[in-house]
Amino acid sequence: MKSVEIRNCNSRFHKNIGKYTVSLNDSCFHCGLCVEICPYCVFDRIDGFNHVSTPNSAGCLGPDCKEGPYYCTTKCPVDAIKIELDPQWKTLGDFRWTPDLIITTWQQAETGEIPRGNLEYRIGASGGGFDVFDFTIDDFTAISSEEIDKISTSDKISTSICLNRRGEGPSIEIPVPWYGAGMSFGSISLPSMLARAHSAKAWKTFTSTGEGGYPDELIPYSNHVITQIATGLFGVSEETIKRTPIIEFKYAQGAKPGLGGHLLGDKNTPSVAKMRETVPWNSLFSPFPFHSVYSVEDHKKHIDWVKTINPDALISVKVSTPSDVDMVAVGSYYAGANIIHLDGGYGGTGAAPEIAKKNIAMPIEYAITKVHKFLLEEGVREEIVLLASGGIRTAYDIAKSIALGADGAVIGTSDLIALGCVRCGNCESGRGCPRGIATTDPELEKQINPSWGAQRIINLYASWQKQLKLLLYKLGLKDIKELRGRTDFLRHIDEK
Amino acid sequence: MYKRYRIETSPVELSTTKIGKFEIIRNDSCLNCGRCMTHCIYDVHKRDSDDPRLMSDPVNHLCKNCFSCIQNCPYQALEMIKNKEFEKLGNTYWTPQIIHTIWNEAEEGKIPVFGAGYRGPFRGSGFDDIWTDMSEIVRPTRDGIHGREYIATSVDLGRKLPWIPDFEKLDLTNSYEIQIPMLLDTSPLGLNSRRIILSIIKAAHKLGTLAFLDIKNYFDELKPYLKSIALRCSLDKITHLDRAPWRKVNFIEIALPRKFSISELERVLKKLKSENQTALISLGLTNPSLSAGIFKQFKEARADILNFYADNDGQSFEGNIFICESTRKLQLDLVKERMRDEVTILGKGGIAAAEHVPKIIICGADAAVLDLSLLVAAGCQVCKVCKIDDCPAELEKLGPDIVEQRIINMICAWRDQLLEILSAMGIRDVRRLRGEKGRAIFYEEIERESFEFIFKENGPVK
Repeated sequence: MKSVEIRNCNSRFHKNIGKYTVSLNDSCFHCGLCVEICPYCVFDRIDGFNHVSTPNSAGCLGPDCKEGPYYCTTKCPVDAIKIELDPQWKTLGDFRWTPDLIITTWQQAETGEIPRGNLEYRIGASGGGFDVFDFTIDDFTAISSEEIDKISTSDKISTSICLNRRGEGPSIEIPVPWYGAGMSFGSISLPSMLARAHSAKAWKTFTSTGEGGYPDELIPYSNHVITQIATGLFGVSEETIKRTPIIEFKYAQGAKPGLGGHLLGDKNTPSVAKMRETVPWNSLFSPFPFHSVYSVEDHKKHIDWVKTINPDALISVKVSTPSDVDMVAVGSYYAGANIIHLDGGYGGTGAAPEIAKKNIAMPIEYAITKVHKFLLEEGVREEIVLLASGGIRTAYDIAKSIALGADGAVIGTSDLIALGCVRCGNCESGRGCPRGIATTDPELEKQINPSWGAQRIINLYASWQKQLKLLLYKLGLKDIKELRGRTDFLRHIDEK
Repeated sequence: MYKRYRIETSPVELSTTKIGKFEIIRNDSCLNCGRCMTHCIYDVHKRDSDDPRLMSDPVNHLCKNCFSCIQNCPYQALEMIKNKEFEKLGNTYWTPQIIHTIWNEAEEGKIPVFGAGYRGPFRGSGFDDIWTDMSEIVRPTRDGIHGREYIATSVDLGRKLPWIPDFEKLDLTNSYEIQIPMLLDTSPLGLNSRRIILSIIKAAHKLGTLAFLDIKNYFDELKPYLKSIALRCSLDKITHLDRAPWRKVNFIEIALPRKFSISELERVLKKLKSENQTALISLGLTNPSLSAGIFKQFKEARADILNFYADNDGQSFEGNIFICESTRKLQLDLVKERMRDEVTILGKGGIAAAEHVPKIIICGADAAVLDLSLLVAAGCQVCKVCKIDDCPAELEKLGPDIVEQRIINMICAWRDQLLEILSAMGIRDVRRLRGEKGRAIFYEEIERESFEFIFKENGPVK
C-alpha cells in the first residue's frame, strides 16, 4: 500500500498552549545563546532585531529537558530564564480529556509522530475503564529510537481490518482499525466535514455524514463517506443511499441514548435547514426510536429496504449501550447487519442534556465485553464486525477496545481535537464553536481551511498507526486482528 | 375537570451567582489592539466605555473557556487561570460544579444542554456509582422528546391497601397525590428566615407538592398554605396536638429521636389520629437500620410514610450509610415481607442534582425530599459555617418572589430531566420506576461481571 503523506502542519493560532511557561527576566542581555541551544524553537530572534522574542512556551519540554544537552536554564550566563508550570494548564481539559491528552493530540496532528516528552498521551484521568487498563508488556525504553522508527513504519505488522465478514457482499478492508464517526452538517461546519472526508480518503478509511444530509461538496469523497440514516431521516434521499459503500443506521447515540438527536435552533441556519428540509432557526429533535422499527423483524425490513436501493452497500447498525445491548447486537446480526457499532455512554455530541451524557447507559468498556462474549456464545462472532465508540480518544483506547473484544473503533472527538478543539463544550448554541469547528456560522467556519484540517487528521492517524504497530510488536503479534479478545494482555494499572 | 399539570418558569438572574469558572488576566504587554474582542463571541472583552482607546477588564463570568482570545492575541498578553472564588464554592459533596449547575437551572428553568461528551470522572461514590438504563427496543407509543407529555410524574403518598377488608371500618386516611416525586424541606442548614420559609412553602404550593416545616417555625402568614405544609415535630417535643395547625394539615411528620419508646409513639399517633383523621403520618428516621427491623411495630402504630433523614452529604446520621444503600435495603426488606405498598418511602439529604431524584427512586424511594438544593437555587454557596447575616448570597435581602421563582425554575428543570431519564428507559410513569433496580447499572456489579476475567486476584472493586 502506498503510504500516506505526512507533512508538518502547525497550529493555526498565534500562541499555543503548553504545560510550562518560559520567561526571561530583566537580567537578560539578549546574547542569544538560548536561541542557539533550544532545538524546540522556544526561543527565537527575528532577523535584524537585537532582542530575543517573547519565548514560545508551548514547545518547552519542562524539567524533563534537564537530563539532555539543551537545558537552557543552567546554560544561560545570567540566570535569566525561568521555567514554571503554567497555571493556565489547569484550565484546559477535564477528567476524560486531560490537558496532556489534548496537547499531545495537537502535537501528533502537527507532526504525525509519537509524542515526545513526558506528557501522558495514552490515558486520561477518569479513574475507570480504559484509564485503569494497561497492557501487560509495554516498555519502550529497551528499544532504541531508530528501532522504534523502523518498527512503527514496518509493513510486516498489519493494522488493517475487514468491514465485511459475512460470506456475501463486497469486501471492504481499511488499513487502520478505525473510521470517523457521524458528525452532521449542522453540528459541524462544512470545512470541518471536508477535512474529515479528505483525511478518510487519504487513509482509505471512512467518515460518516451524520444525520444532517449529504452536502454536494462531499461527493468527490463518496467512496469514503458513510451515509447515516438516523431517526429524523434528515437529508436522507435515494441518491445519498445509492452513493455510499456503507449505510449506517443510527438507532441511538451514546451521549443521549434513547432521546434522539438535538440541534438547537441557533445552529439551524438557512443552509442547514435547506439540507435537512426543515424550517430555519427551529430546534430540531430527531425522534427516538425509528417509528418504523419496533422489533428485529422491523429492523430487517429496514435493511431490506435500503438493500433494495443499494444492493452493494454494507450495513452498519449504531446502537447505544443499555444493559441488554447483547440482545440488540445479536438481533442486528440476524437482521443482516455487517457491522455493529456500539456507542458508549461517554461518547461525543454536538448537543445533549448533561444528565444523559453522565447517567444514561453504560460506558463502552462494559458493552464491548458483554457483546463480544455474547456473540461468541451465539457462534456468530466471526461473521460480524464489532466496532466501539464513545470515549475512544487515543491509539491505546483503540487497542484496549480491541483487546476487550471489538474489531475496531469509531473516532469522533479526536478528529476535532486535531482541528484545534479545546473541548470547551459550547458547540450547542449561539454561534456555535468559537474556534470554527462545530459551528454553522458563515464567519466562524472560515477559521478552518479544509486542506490544513485534513493534514492534521492524517498526521494524527499516522501517529496512531505507529503506536499500534509498536504495541503489536511488543506483544509479539503481527496483526491487529490477533489482538481481538486478548484480555490476557490487559492488566489493571494498580496491579503488577 | 382535567387540568394539565404545568410548571410556569420565568428566567430570574441573580448578581450573587455571577461567579465564572475562569478568570482572564490581561497583562502589561497588552497593546489594546482589540483582537481579543473580535475573536470572543461571548462579549468577555470590550473597550472601556470612558476611554475607548483602552480595553476594559475582561467580564470573567461570561468566559466559556474557549481560549480564542488567548491564542489569537498577538502579544501573549492574555492568560486564563481557574477562578479561585469558583473553586471555593461548596465542599467535596456539593462541588462547585453541582452548585453552578443548580444556579443555572434556577436561573433559566431549563435542562442543561451542552456540546461535547461527558467530562467528569468515570465513576464516583454514592449516586455516581449508578448508571440508569435505556431501552433500545421500545413500544410504538414512545416518541423521544415528543411523547414526553404523556409521562406521568405524580406519585401517591400514603399506604395502599391490598384490599378493603371492611367497608364499614374504611380507613379515612387517603393517599395524597403530589404532582412530582419531589418534596421540599424548609429546614436546611442554618436557615431560620421567615421570608425564605414562606418562599419555599409558596413554591411547594404552586408546584402541587408539599413542604416540610418544623412546628417551631410556624407563623400565621403560612395559614393560606396549610394544605401544602407537612408539619413536623420531634417525638419528645410534641405538644398541643389539639391546636390549629396540627388539626388542619394534610401531612404530619414525627421525627424520631435516637431513643424513643414505641408506646409513647403509639400514644402520640393515636392522639394525632383522633384530632386529625385525614392527615397522613410520616415518621422521620435518622437510623437507617432501625426502619427495617421494627417496621412491623410501626405498622401497628399506623405510620403511612417513612422519611429517611441523611445529612447534607447523603450519609446517615448513624452508621455512615449512604442514602441509596439504606433505601435499597429497606425496599428489599419490605418486598420480602410483601408489604412494600403499605408504606411510602421518602429520602432526605444529599439530593443535590437532577439525576439524584430518579436514582433514589430506583433504589426504592417513592419520592425525594429536597433541602439544601433549595437554598442553593436561591444563590447559597454552601459555606462551611452558615451565617444568615453575613451571607455571600445575601439570602436575607432577596425578594421572596425571586426565591420562589428560582426554586420553581430549578424544580422544573429537574422534573424535565427526570422525564429525559424515564423517556430513555421507555417508562411512562415514575411510579413504575420505584425499586426498579433492574433498570439501573451498578458499578460494582457491572465491573465484576465484565472484568472479572481481567482482575483475577485483587478484584475489581474500589
